[in-house]
Amino acid sequence: MTELAVDTANRSAVPWFKNKKLDQYICFWSVPVFYTLFGLVFVPLSYMMPPRSPAAGIAEVVSFMQSPTLLIASAILILVLGLSAVANACYAVQIRRMSVSPVFLYAFLAGSMVGAIVGCLFPMFCFGLGAFRPGYDPEILAMLYDFGYLSFIGSLGCFCLNWGVLSLAIVLDKNAILPKWLGYYTAWQFATELFAATVWIAKDGPFAWDGLMAFWFNIVIYVPWQIIVYVCVFMAIKNQSETELYSSELESAAPNEKLAYS
Amino acid sequence: MNTRGQQIMLWTTPVGGALFLIAYLMFPVLTTPMSPLMSPEAVAEFFNNNLTSIRGVVIFANLIGASLVPFFALIAVHMLRIANSSPVFAYSYIIAVGVSLSAFILADYCWGVAVFRPDRDPQLISLLNDMAWFFFITPVGLLVVQNICLALSIYLDANEEPIFPRWVAHFNVVTAILMVPGAFAVIYKTGPLAWDGSLSFTLRLATFTVYVAVMFVVLLGVVRKQNENSGGSQ
Repeated sequence: MTELAVDTANRSAVPWFKNKKLDQYICFWSVPVFYTLFGLVFVPLSYMMPPRSPAAGIAEVVSFMQSPTLLIASAILILVLGLSAVANACYAVQIRRMSVSPVFLYAFLAGSMVGAIVGCLFPMFCFGLGAFRPGYDPEILAMLYDFGYLSFIGSLGCFCLNWGVLSLAIVLDKNAILPKWLGYYTAWQFATELFAATVWIAKDGPFAWDGLMAFWFNIVIYVPWQIIVYVCVFMAIKNQSETELYSSELESAAPNEKLAYS
Repeated sequence: MNTRGQQIMLWTTPVGGALFLIAYLMFPVLTTPMSPLMSPEAVAEFFNNNLTSIRGVVIFANLIGASLVPFFALIAVHMLRIANSSPVFAYSYIIAVGVSLSAFILADYCWGVAVFRPDRDPQLISLLNDMAWFFFITPVGLLVVQNICLALSIYLDANEEPIFPRWVAHFNVVTAILMVPGAFAVIYKTGPLAWDGSLSFTLRLATFTVYVAVMFVVLLGVVRKQNENSGGSQ
């Protein structure tokens, strides 16, 4: 919270809870909370990540799918899943400030909805179901295992959409809301999502869902990118001029008024 | 501003309520929830014995879920009128509504697929049934975020005359807390936290019903006030 404290101190000693941008700061600071819990769920709690092998034997799959910690991981994920909506809304607000058509905003919102289901809730449920009812046939557990990993790692469409939209919006924007280089950097993130396509085909080697190209290459690029984007979003909130606050987009919907977007 | 369109959208909420009542009276099969302890064979038998009722529930639930969307959309519209520095709470709310509705419809489809060919392997029927209950009862994190976003948005409303009355924020915080136990239905098969338990099933669904009813009345007032303030007569 140090940056926030500095920010408010500069604004003639307004206490943080009276900061005009408090709504944005609350949502912004929920993002590190979300990613910390998200990481806890997938790495130490469920050992789902780093991914297990798609070539694992049936005994190994069954013992993983029946581990009780998967249930605790599922419960925590269910509770924090809503915060993914907030994390995406933080980007959406910045897209809305850009001098681009609202089509970017709405496409991003739609992509965020789909992404939360197919890339997060559904895979966790696949694993949770196996642990919930250990009596299932090994065949069914093996199918849930595949379904869980493939939808978690192979969900590329909606993320391609989101990063593509974000990247283009930044590049086209004339209001300089986010730095131009971030737009090109994000385009690269869009490209790496495509690398995950091979997980639907390869069962082992570098192109499988635990492979060097399809997983590790992506994760090494993704993690720093994700942190950098949020730092840029933080700077964008901080630098937003006070005259721009409270601009209601509903005004633009009233007849005979100048459209807010160009 | 003419609010007639908003009022039409708002009145789809009682239509959803009426559909629920019809489904409840015609197909009371899920009035008492299935126990998570049922064996796959027992689940398959239950589906085979209640084919018509479950099909009715599946078709009605799909429509009921969709008929609540305008209600949530209308809340989002009025959140956008609230004087916060940005639309961030409203956007979070809209995304969370989309995810919640998808989860609910997926639950419905799992039951629908199970009952479409009930002579499938009982293990598969049971899997679809478990998945349906997971999607139906447990994704409460989204409702919690929806309600907390609405509450915070109201608390931070800088309008001299706030869009929503302040007690609505308190009410949303309370309902958010009452929803939380539903998440633990993935862990327990018996007791109040199981998906057929008093906290995860009865309290959660009762809270949701009361929530929709109260917020419907609140929205009636909010829309009326918007109409009066803009000098509209319709």
